[in-house]
Amino acid sequence: MIINVDRGRCTGIGICESVSPEHFEVGDDGALVLVTESFIEEDRGVIEQAVRSCPAKALSIGSALAAPTATAEEGGT
Amino acid sequence: MVSTAWRRTPHPFTTDLDVSSDAFWAKTFVQRDETFASLREHAPVSWHPPREAPEIPEELHGETGFWAVVKNEDIAFVSQNHQLFSSDSEEWGGIFMRPTDPRIFGNPNFLTMDPPEQTRYRRIMSAAFTPKGVSRISDKINERAEKIIDRVVGMGNFDFVTEVAAKLPMLTVADLIGVPEDLVEAFATAGNNFANVTDPEFVPEGVDPLQFMFAQLTVLRQIGVDLVNYRREHPAEDIATALAQADFDGRKLDDDDIQSMMLLLSIAGNDTTKQTTSHTVNSLGKHPDQKAWLKEDFDGRIAGSVEEFVRHASPIIQFARTATQDVELRGQKITQGDKVVLFLCSGNRDEEVFEDAHRFDLSRDRTGHVAFGGGGVHYCLGNGIAKAQLKAIFSRVLTKLPHLQITGEPDLLFGDFINGIKRLPVHA
Repeated sequence: MIINVDRGRCTGIGICESVSPEHFEVGDDGALVLVTESFIEEDRGVIEQAVRSCPAKALSIGSALAAPTATAEEGGT
Repeated sequence: MVSTAWRRTPHPFTTDLDVSSDAFWAKTFVQRDETFASLREHAPVSWHPPREAPEIPEELHGETGFWAVVKNEDIAFVSQNHQLFSSDSEEWGGIFMRPTDPRIFGNPNFLTMDPPEQTRYRRIMSAAFTPKGVSRISDKINERAEKIIDRVVGMGNFDFVTEVAAKLPMLTVADLIGVPEDLVEAFATAGNNFANVTDPEFVPEGVDPLQFMFAQLTVLRQIGVDLVNYRREHPAEDIATALAQADFDGRKLDDDDIQSMMLLLSIAGNDTTKQTTSHTVNSLGKHPDQKAWLKEDFDGRIAGSVEEFVRHASPIIQFARTATQDVELRGQKITQGDKVVLFLCSGNRDEEVFEDAHRFDLSRDRTGHVAFGGGGVHYCLGNGIAKAQLKAIFSRVLTKLPHLQITGEPDLLFGDFINGIKRLPVHA
Protein backbone atom coordinates (compact mmCIF):
# COMPACT_ATOMS: atom_id res chain seq x y z
CA MET A 1 0.00 0.00 0.00
CA ILE A 2 1.31 3.45 -0.87
CA ILE A 3 0.36 7.04 -0.10
CA ASN A 4 -0.46 9.24 -3.09
CA VAL A 5 -0.11 13.00 -2.85
CA ASP A 6 -1.91 15.20 -5.36
CA ARG A 7 0.67 17.95 -5.62
CA GLY A 8 -1.84 20.22 -7.33
CA ARG A 9 -3.97 20.21 -4.20
CA CYS A 10 -1.39 19.98 -1.41
CA THR A 11 -0.57 23.40 0.05
CA GLY A 12 1.52 22.19 2.98
CA ILE A 13 -1.05 22.80 5.70
CA GLY A 14 0.32 19.88 7.68
CA ILE A 15 -2.71 18.31 9.33
CA CYS A 16 -1.35 15.00 8.02
CA GLU A 17 1.89 15.57 9.93
CA SER A 18 0.01 16.35 13.14
CA VAL A 19 -1.92 13.08 12.71
CA SER A 20 1.13 10.99 11.83
CA PRO A 21 4.58 12.59 11.92
CA GLU A 22 6.08 9.16 11.18
CA HIS A 23 4.68 9.33 7.67
CA PHE A 24 4.32 13.02 6.80
CA GLU A 25 6.61 16.00 7.14
CA VAL A 26 6.02 19.54 5.92
CA GLY A 27 9.24 21.45 5.35
CA ASP A 28 9.79 25.15 5.89
CA ASP A 29 9.41 25.61 2.16
CA GLY A 30 5.81 24.41 2.56
CA ALA A 31 6.38 21.21 0.62
CA LEU A 32 5.08 17.93 1.97
CA VAL A 33 7.60 15.12 2.14
CA LEU A 34 6.45 11.57 2.56
CA VAL A 35 8.73 10.06 5.16
CA THR A 36 7.90 6.72 3.64
CA GLU A 37 5.86 6.20 0.50
CA SER A 38 4.77 2.68 1.36
CA PHE A 39 3.34 1.75 4.74
CA ILE A 40 2.61 -1.38 6.72
CA GLU A 41 -0.88 -2.65 7.30
CA GLU A 42 -0.73 -1.85 11.02
CA ASP A 43 -0.56 1.84 10.13
CA ARG A 44 -3.61 1.81 7.87
CA GLY A 45 -5.87 3.30 10.54
CA VAL A 46 -3.73 6.35 11.19
CA ILE A 47 -2.99 6.83 7.49
CA GLU A 48 -6.69 6.74 6.70
CA GLN A 49 -7.25 9.34 9.40
CA ALA A 50 -4.60 11.55 7.81
CA VAL A 51 -6.22 11.09 4.39
CA ARG A 52 -9.64 12.03 5.80
CA SER A 53 -8.23 15.01 7.72
CA CYS A 54 -6.58 16.68 4.74
CA PRO A 55 -8.50 19.90 4.15
CA ALA A 56 -7.30 20.00 0.55
CA LYS A 57 -8.26 16.36 -0.16
CA ALA A 58 -4.75 15.89 -1.48
CA LEU A 59 -4.09 12.43 -0.07
CA SER A 60 -5.17 8.99 -1.11
CA ILE A 61 -4.12 5.41 -0.56
CA GLY A 62 -3.08 3.42 -3.58
CA SER A 63 -1.76 0.04 -4.53
CA ALA A 64 1.99 -0.38 -4.87
CA LEU A 65 1.34 -2.32 -8.07
CA ALA A 66 -0.31 0.62 -9.88
CA ALA A 67 1.87 2.81 -12.09
CA PRO A 68 2.41 6.26 -10.52
CA THR A 69 0.06 8.82 -12.03
CA ALA A 70 1.19 12.22 -13.26
CA THR A 71 0.64 15.10 -10.87
CA ALA A 72 -2.79 16.59 -11.53
CA GLU A 73 -2.22 19.99 -13.18
CA GLU A 74 -5.64 21.48 -12.75
CA GLY A 75 -7.14 21.99 -9.36
CA GLY A 76 -10.86 21.56 -8.70
CA THR A 77 -12.65 18.31 -9.29
CA MET B 1 -13.47 51.64 -7.78
CA VAL B 2 -14.43 48.09 -8.64
CA SER B 3 -16.73 47.79 -11.59
CA THR B 4 -20.11 46.67 -10.40
CA ALA B 5 -21.57 45.81 -13.77
CA TRP B 6 -21.38 42.06 -13.18
CA ARG B 7 -22.94 42.27 -9.74
CA ARG B 8 -26.29 43.50 -10.86
CA THR B 9 -27.89 40.16 -11.70
CA PRO B 10 -31.14 39.99 -9.82
CA HIS B 11 -32.56 36.62 -8.86
CA PRO B 12 -35.94 35.74 -7.44
CA PHE B 13 -35.75 35.31 -3.68
CA THR B 14 -36.10 31.59 -3.19
CA THR B 15 -37.24 31.63 0.40
CA ASP B 16 -38.89 34.08 2.76
CA LEU B 17 -36.41 33.19 5.49
CA ASP B 18 -34.33 36.24 6.39
CA VAL B 19 -30.58 36.13 6.98
CA SER B 20 -29.90 39.64 5.71
CA SER B 21 -31.38 42.00 8.26
CA ASP B 22 -29.92 43.57 11.36
CA ALA B 23 -32.88 42.09 13.25
CA PHE B 24 -31.83 38.56 12.28
CA TRP B 25 -28.22 39.15 13.24
CA ALA B 26 -29.30 40.53 16.61
CA LYS B 27 -30.49 37.05 17.55
CA THR B 28 -28.34 34.51 19.37
CA PHE B 29 -26.35 31.79 17.61
CA VAL B 30 -28.86 29.14 18.62
CA GLN B 31 -31.84 31.26 17.56
CA ARG B 32 -30.22 31.99 14.19
CA ASP B 33 -29.53 28.31 13.67
CA GLU B 34 -33.27 27.66 13.69
CA THR B 35 -33.35 29.59 10.42
CA PHE B 36 -30.23 27.87 9.13
CA ALA B 37 -31.66 24.46 10.02
CA SER B 38 -34.72 25.28 7.98
CA LEU B 39 -32.55 26.36 5.07
CA ARG B 40 -30.40 23.22 5.38
CA GLU B 41 -33.50 21.12 5.06
CA HIS B 42 -35.64 23.06 2.57
CA ALA B 43 -33.40 25.44 0.65
CA PRO B 44 -29.73 24.49 0.98
CA VAL B 45 -28.72 27.08 -1.61
CA SER B 46 -30.94 30.16 -1.54
CA TRP B 47 -30.86 33.75 -2.81
CA HIS B 48 -31.26 36.62 -0.36
CA PRO B 49 -31.34 40.42 -0.36
CA PRO B 50 -28.00 42.13 0.36
CA ARG B 51 -26.99 42.24 3.99
CA GLU B 52 -28.49 45.35 5.56
CA ALA B 53 -25.63 47.86 5.69
CA PRO B 54 -26.90 51.39 6.33
CA GLU B 55 -23.38 52.80 6.59
CA ILE B 56 -22.71 52.13 2.90
CA PRO B 57 -24.89 53.88 0.33
CA GLU B 58 -26.40 51.26 -1.98
CA GLU B 59 -25.17 53.07 -5.08
CA LEU B 60 -21.65 52.64 -3.74
CA HIS B 61 -21.79 48.90 -3.14
CA GLY B 62 -24.22 48.09 -5.98
CA GLU B 63 -25.08 44.62 -4.70
CA THR B 64 -28.25 42.79 -5.63
CA GLY B 65 -28.05 39.97 -3.09
CA PHE B 66 -26.21 36.79 -2.18
CA TRP B 67 -26.54 33.03 -2.23
CA ALA B 68 -26.63 31.42 1.22
CA VAL B 69 -24.71 28.12 1.31
CA VAL B 70 -25.53 26.30 4.52
CA LYS B 71 -24.60 22.63 4.09
CA ASN B 72 -21.26 21.34 5.34
CA GLU B 73 -20.64 19.48 2.09
CA ASP B 74 -21.40 22.49 -0.10
CA ILE B 75 -19.22 24.78 1.99
CA ALA B 76 -16.37 22.34 1.37
CA PHE B 77 -17.13 22.23 -2.36
CA VAL B 78 -17.16 26.00 -2.78
CA SER B 79 -14.07 26.43 -0.62
CA GLN B 80 -12.06 23.86 -2.54
CA ASN B 81 -12.95 25.17 -5.98
CA HIS B 82 -11.32 28.54 -5.95
CA GLN B 83 -11.31 28.83 -9.75
CA LEU B 84 -15.11 28.78 -9.65
CA PHE B 85 -15.47 30.84 -6.48
CA SER B 86 -13.02 33.69 -6.13
CA SER B 87 -11.86 35.50 -3.02
CA ASP B 88 -10.44 38.37 -5.00
CA SER B 89 -11.59 41.78 -3.81
CA GLU B 90 -10.15 43.83 -6.65
CA GLU B 91 -11.49 41.96 -9.65
CA TRP B 92 -14.50 40.41 -7.92
CA GLY B 93 -16.56 41.00 -4.79
CA GLY B 94 -14.25 39.98 -1.96
CA ILE B 95 -14.97 37.83 1.04
CA PHE B 96 -17.57 39.43 3.24
CA MET B 97 -21.32 38.97 3.26
CA ARG B 98 -21.64 42.57 4.32
CA PRO B 99 -21.23 45.05 1.46
CA THR B 100 -17.91 46.78 2.00
CA ASP B 101 -16.85 50.32 1.42
CA PRO B 102 -14.28 50.09 -1.38
CA ARG B 103 -12.54 53.18 -0.04
CA ILE B 104 -11.17 51.75 3.16
CA PHE B 105 -9.14 48.58 2.74
CA GLY B 106 -5.93 49.67 1.09
CA ASN B 107 -3.92 46.84 -0.41
CA PRO B 108 -5.62 43.47 -0.25
CA ASN B 109 -4.01 40.79 1.88
CA PHE B 110 -3.86 37.18 0.76
CA LEU B 111 -7.27 36.40 2.22
CA THR B 112 -8.74 38.40 -0.65
CA MET B 113 -6.55 37.00 -3.38
CA ASP B 114 -6.67 33.92 -5.58
CA PRO B 115 -3.83 31.66 -6.64
CA PRO B 116 -1.23 32.17 -7.98
CA GLU B 117 -0.89 35.52 -6.23
CA GLN B 118 -2.44 34.21 -3.02
CA THR B 119 0.02 31.34 -3.02
CA ARG B 120 3.03 33.66 -3.24
CA TYR B 121 1.88 35.95 -0.44
CA ARG B 122 0.80 33.13 1.84
CA ARG B 123 4.15 31.41 1.33
CA ILE B 124 5.96 34.45 2.71
CA MET B 125 4.89 33.53 6.21
CA SER B 126 3.62 29.97 5.97
CA ALA B 127 6.75 28.40 7.48
CA ALA B 128 5.77 29.87 10.84
CA PHE B 129 2.52 27.88 10.79
CA THR B 130 3.55 24.35 9.76
CA PRO B 131 3.73 21.68 12.49
CA LYS B 132 7.46 22.44 12.70
CA GLY B 133 6.76 26.16 12.96
CA VAL B 134 4.24 25.54 15.70
CA SER B 135 6.69 23.41 17.65
CA ARG B 136 9.30 26.18 17.40
CA ILE B 137 7.00 28.55 19.25
CA SER B 138 5.40 25.95 21.48
CA ASP B 139 7.61 26.61 24.49
CA LYS B 140 6.83 30.31 24.28
CA ILE B 141 3.10 29.60 24.03
CA ASN B 142 3.24 27.41 27.10
CA GLU B 143 5.34 29.91 29.00
CA ARG B 144 2.82 32.65 28.24
CA ALA B 145 -0.14 30.41 29.12
CA GLU B 146 1.45 29.51 32.43
CA LYS B 147 1.84 33.18 33.41
CA ILE B 148 -1.68 34.05 32.32
CA ILE B 149 -3.30 31.32 34.39
CA ASP B 150 -1.00 31.73 37.39
CA ARG B 151 -2.05 35.35 37.54
CA VAL B 152 -5.73 34.52 38.03
CA VAL B 153 -5.38 31.65 40.51
CA GLY B 154 -7.34 32.72 43.59
CA MET B 155 -8.35 36.01 41.95
CA GLY B 156 -11.93 35.56 43.08
CA ASN B 157 -14.47 37.15 40.76
CA PHE B 158 -13.20 38.34 37.40
CA ASP B 159 -14.03 38.55 33.72
CA PHE B 160 -12.53 35.54 32.00
CA VAL B 161 -12.46 37.27 28.62
CA THR B 162 -10.36 40.24 29.70
CA GLU B 163 -8.13 38.44 32.19
CA VAL B 164 -7.49 35.20 30.29
CA ALA B 165 -9.08 34.59 26.88
CA ALA B 166 -7.97 37.85 25.30
CA LYS B 167 -4.36 37.50 26.39
CA LEU B 168 -2.68 34.49 24.81
CA PRO B 169 -3.78 34.93 21.17
CA MET B 170 -2.58 38.51 21.09
CA LEU B 171 0.73 37.62 22.72
CA THR B 172 1.26 34.69 20.35
CA VAL B 173 0.60 36.76 17.21
CA ALA B 174 2.97 39.37 18.57
CA ASP B 175 5.62 36.68 19.22
CA LEU B 176 5.14 35.23 15.73
CA ILE B 177 5.56 38.65 14.16
CA GLY B 178 8.29 39.76 16.55
CA VAL B 179 6.41 42.78 17.96
CA PRO B 180 8.38 44.19 20.88
CA GLU B 181 6.79 43.55 24.26
CA ASP B 182 6.06 47.21 24.96
CA LEU B 183 4.00 47.54 21.78
CA VAL B 184 2.01 44.33 22.13
CA GLU B 185 -0.94 45.91 23.92
CA ALA B 186 -1.32 48.75 21.41
CA PHE B 187 -1.10 46.18 18.63
CA ALA B 188 -3.81 43.94 20.05
CA THR B 189 -6.12 46.78 21.06
CA ALA B 190 -6.03 48.15 17.53
CA GLY B 191 -6.74 44.71 16.07
CA ASN B 192 -9.62 44.14 18.49
CA ASN B 193 -11.12 47.55 17.80
CA PHE B 194 -10.96 47.03 14.08
CA ALA B 195 -12.78 43.70 14.28
CA ASN B 196 -15.51 45.22 16.43
CA VAL B 197 -16.05 48.47 14.58
CA THR B 198 -19.72 47.64 13.97
CA ASP B 199 -20.35 47.24 17.71
CA PRO B 200 -21.32 50.64 19.17
CA GLU B 201 -19.71 49.79 22.51
CA PHE B 202 -16.28 49.76 20.93
CA VAL B 203 -16.52 52.99 19.01
CA PRO B 204 -16.18 55.97 21.36
CA GLU B 205 -19.29 58.12 21.50
CA GLY B 206 -19.33 60.87 18.95
CA VAL B 207 -16.59 59.27 16.85
CA ASP B 208 -17.36 58.43 13.24
CA PRO B 209 -16.92 54.64 12.81
CA LEU B 210 -15.01 55.14 9.58
CA GLN B 211 -12.53 57.47 11.29
CA PHE B 212 -12.25 55.03 14.16
CA MET B 213 -11.46 52.23 11.71
CA PHE B 214 -8.77 54.32 10.02
CA ALA B 215 -7.23 55.08 13.39
CA GLN B 216 -6.79 51.36 14.15
CA LEU B 217 -5.32 50.70 10.72
CA THR B 218 -2.81 53.47 11.35
CA VAL B 219 -1.61 51.92 14.61
CA LEU B 220 -1.16 48.49 13.01
CA ARG B 221 0.57 49.99 10.02
CA GLN B 222 2.99 52.00 12.12
CA ILE B 223 4.03 49.11 14.32
CA GLY B 224 4.37 46.80 11.34
CA VAL B 225 6.30 49.16 9.10
CA ASP B 226 8.75 50.20 11.82
CA LEU B 227 9.36 46.61 12.80
CA VAL B 228 9.84 45.32 9.25
CA ASN B 229 12.23 48.17 8.48
CA TYR B 230 14.19 47.28 11.61
CA ARG B 231 14.30 43.64 10.53
CA ARG B 232 15.74 44.58 7.14
CA GLU B 233 18.89 45.50 9.07
CA HIS B 234 18.57 43.10 12.01
CA PRO B 235 17.00 39.85 10.79
CA ALA B 236 15.60 37.39 13.27
CA GLU B 237 13.44 34.27 13.07
CA ASP B 238 10.06 35.93 12.94
CA ILE B 239 7.38 36.93 10.49
CA ALA B 240 8.57 40.53 10.38
CA THR B 241 11.85 39.24 8.98
CA ALA B 242 10.03 37.07 6.47
CA LEU B 243 8.12 40.17 5.39
CA ALA B 244 11.34 42.19 5.23
CA GLN B 245 12.99 39.57 3.05
CA ALA B 246 10.00 38.84 0.81
CA ASP B 247 10.90 39.44 -2.79
CA PHE B 248 8.64 39.26 -5.82
CA ASP B 249 11.10 39.35 -8.72
CA GLY B 250 12.98 42.21 -7.14
CA ARG B 251 9.96 43.99 -5.68
CA LYS B 252 9.93 44.20 -1.89
CA LEU B 253 6.76 44.55 0.13
CA ASP B 254 5.69 48.16 0.43
CA ASP B 255 4.15 49.83 3.47
CA ASP B 256 0.61 49.13 2.23
CA ASP B 257 1.42 45.41 1.93
CA ILE B 258 2.81 45.41 5.46
CA GLN B 259 -0.29 47.15 6.79
CA SER B 260 -2.43 44.47 5.15
CA MET B 261 -0.40 41.67 6.69
CA MET B 262 -0.59 43.26 10.14
CA LEU B 263 -4.33 43.65 9.79
CA LEU B 264 -4.75 40.08 8.67
CA LEU B 265 -2.68 38.60 11.47
CA SER B 266 -4.13 40.77 14.19
CA ILE B 267 -7.70 39.92 13.25
CA ALA B 268 -7.30 36.34 12.09
CA GLY B 269 -4.97 35.40 14.92
CA ASN B 270 -6.44 37.44 17.72
CA ASP B 271 -10.22 37.41 17.89
CA THR B 272 -10.79 33.86 16.71
CA THR B 273 -8.76 31.97 19.30
CA LYS B 274 -9.94 34.36 22.01
CA GLN B 275 -13.58 33.63 21.22
CA THR B 276 -13.02 29.87 21.10
CA THR B 277 -11.34 30.05 24.50
CA SER B 278 -14.22 31.98 26.06
CA HIS B 279 -16.90 29.79 24.50
CA THR B 280 -15.08 26.67 25.65
CA VAL B 281 -14.81 27.81 29.26
CA ASN B 282 -18.52 28.54 29.16
CA SER B 283 -19.29 25.15 27.63
CA LEU B 284 -17.08 23.22 30.04
CA GLY B 285 -18.81 25.07 32.87
CA LYS B 286 -22.22 24.06 31.56
CA HIS B 287 -21.14 20.45 30.92
CA PRO B 288 -19.11 19.23 33.89
CA ASP B 289 -19.34 15.69 32.55
CA GLN B 290 -17.36 16.77 29.48
CA LYS B 291 -14.83 18.57 31.65
CA ALA B 292 -14.40 15.45 33.77
CA TRP B 293 -14.04 13.26 30.68
CA LEU B 294 -11.27 15.44 29.34
CA LYS B 295 -9.46 15.56 32.69
CA GLU B 296 -9.52 11.77 32.91
CA ASP B 297 -7.02 11.52 30.06
CA PHE B 298 -6.02 15.01 29.00
CA ASP B 299 -3.06 14.03 26.84
CA GLY B 300 -4.99 11.30 25.04
CA ARG B 301 -8.17 13.34 24.58
CA ILE B 302 -7.13 16.94 24.05
CA ALA B 303 -6.46 16.68 20.31
CA GLY B 304 -9.98 15.51 19.55
CA SER B 305 -11.44 17.85 22.17
CA VAL B 306 -9.80 20.89 20.61
CA GLU B 307 -11.57 20.13 17.33
CA GLU B 308 -14.88 20.12 19.20
CA PHE B 309 -13.93 23.35 21.01
CA VAL B 310 -13.53 25.00 17.63
CA ARG B 311 -16.55 23.36 15.96
CA HIS B 312 -18.86 24.26 18.79
CA ALA B 313 -17.60 27.81 19.19
CA SER B 314 -17.55 28.46 15.43
CA PRO B 315 -15.86 31.82 15.97
CA ILE B 316 -16.06 32.84 12.33
CA ILE B 317 -19.66 32.93 11.20
CA GLN B 318 -19.25 33.39 7.46
CA PHE B 319 -17.00 34.16 4.59
CA ALA B 320 -18.07 34.95 1.06
CA ARG B 321 -16.89 34.23 -2.45
CA THR B 322 -17.83 35.45 -5.92
CA ALA B 323 -18.81 33.06 -8.69
CA THR B 324 -16.41 33.55 -11.60
CA GLN B 325 -18.70 31.76 -14.03
CA ASP B 326 -22.20 30.33 -14.09
CA VAL B 327 -22.37 27.35 -11.73
CA GLU B 328 -25.23 25.13 -10.70
CA LEU B 329 -25.36 24.07 -7.05
CA ARG B 330 -28.21 22.03 -5.53
CA GLY B 331 -30.29 22.85 -8.54
CA GLN B 332 -29.82 26.59 -8.16
CA LYS B 333 -28.33 28.50 -11.06
CA ILE B 334 -25.59 30.73 -9.70
CA THR B 335 -24.63 33.42 -12.20
CA GLN B 336 -21.16 34.78 -12.84
CA GLY B 337 -20.59 37.67 -10.43
CA ASP B 338 -23.02 36.46 -7.78
CA LYS B 339 -21.92 36.70 -4.16
CA VAL B 340 -21.94 33.30 -2.46
CA VAL B 341 -21.88 33.31 1.36
CA LEU B 342 -20.53 30.27 3.19
CA PHE B 343 -22.24 30.02 6.57
CA LEU B 344 -19.59 28.18 8.56
CA CYS B 345 -21.86 28.47 11.60
CA SER B 346 -24.43 26.37 9.76
CA GLY B 347 -21.90 23.90 8.37
CA ASN B 348 -20.87 23.23 11.95
CA ARG B 349 -24.44 22.33 12.96
CA ASP B 350 -25.20 20.21 9.89
CA GLU B 351 -27.29 17.30 11.16
CA GLU B 352 -26.06 15.11 8.32
CA VAL B 353 -22.51 15.39 9.64
CA PHE B 354 -22.93 15.89 13.39
CA GLU B 355 -25.32 13.85 15.45
CA ASP B 356 -27.16 16.10 17.90
CA ALA B 357 -25.20 18.94 16.41
CA HIS B 358 -25.78 21.52 19.14
CA ARG B 359 -24.41 19.22 21.81
CA PHE B 360 -20.94 20.02 23.16
CA ASP B 361 -19.41 16.54 22.90
CA LEU B 362 -15.66 16.19 23.17
CA SER B 363 -15.61 12.55 22.08
CA ARG B 364 -16.94 13.22 18.55
CA ASP B 365 -15.08 12.06 15.46
CA ARG B 366 -12.34 14.53 14.66
CA THR B 367 -13.13 15.34 11.07
CA GLY B 368 -15.79 17.31 9.30
CA HIS B 369 -16.09 20.72 10.91
CA VAL B 370 -15.62 23.87 8.88
CA ALA B 371 -14.57 26.29 11.60
CA PHE B 372 -11.21 26.69 9.85
CA GLY B 373 -13.00 26.94 6.53
CA GLY B 374 -14.15 24.32 4.08
CA GLY B 375 -10.68 23.34 2.95
CA GLY B 376 -8.65 24.33 -0.09
CA VAL B 377 -6.07 27.06 -0.49
CA HIS B 378 -7.55 29.44 2.10
CA TYR B 379 -7.80 26.89 4.89
CA CYS B 380 -6.92 28.67 8.09
CA LEU B 381 -3.16 29.10 8.08
CA GLY B 382 -3.14 29.54 11.84
CA ASN B 383 -5.05 26.39 12.72
CA GLY B 384 -2.02 24.70 14.28
CA ILE B 385 -1.13 27.78 16.31
CA ALA B 386 -4.72 28.10 17.50
CA LYS B 387 -4.84 24.47 18.57
CA ALA B 388 -1.51 24.76 20.38
CA GLN B 389 -2.82 27.75 22.32
CA LEU B 390 -6.06 26.02 23.24
CA LYS B 391 -4.16 22.99 24.46
CA ALA B 392 -1.79 25.18 26.51
CA ILE B 393 -4.54 27.23 28.11
CA PHE B 394 -6.91 24.39 28.88
CA SER B 395 -4.32 22.07 30.34
CA ARG B 396 -3.75 24.80 32.91
CA VAL B 397 -7.39 25.78 33.33
CA LEU B 398 -8.18 22.18 34.21
CA THR B 399 -5.25 21.66 36.57
CA LYS B 400 -4.72 25.11 38.13
CA LEU B 401 -8.31 26.39 38.18
CA PRO B 402 -10.10 23.18 39.12
CA HIS B 403 -12.93 25.02 40.86
CA LEU B 404 -13.48 27.60 38.16
CA GLN B 405 -17.13 28.55 38.14
CA ILE B 406 -19.18 30.54 35.69
CA THR B 407 -20.97 33.10 37.83
CA GLY B 408 -23.21 34.75 35.27
CA GLU B 409 -24.53 34.69 31.73
CA PRO B 410 -21.99 35.49 29.02
CA ASP B 411 -22.35 38.96 27.51
CA LEU B 412 -22.61 38.01 23.84
CA LEU B 413 -21.12 39.84 20.87
CA PHE B 414 -23.81 40.25 18.23
CA GLY B 415 -22.73 40.47 14.63
CA ASP B 416 -22.56 38.69 11.31
CA PHE B 417 -18.88 37.82 11.29
CA ILE B 418 -17.56 36.93 14.74
CA ASN B 419 -19.47 34.65 17.11
CA GLY B 420 -18.13 36.14 20.28
CA ILE B 421 -18.38 36.64 24.01
CA LYS B 422 -17.57 40.12 25.28
CA ARG B 423 -17.58 39.28 28.99
CA LEU B 424 -17.77 36.06 30.95
CA PRO B 425 -18.02 36.44 34.72
CA VAL B 426 -16.23 33.67 36.58
CA HIS B 427 -14.87 32.86 39.98
CA ALA B 428 -11.55 31.12 40.63
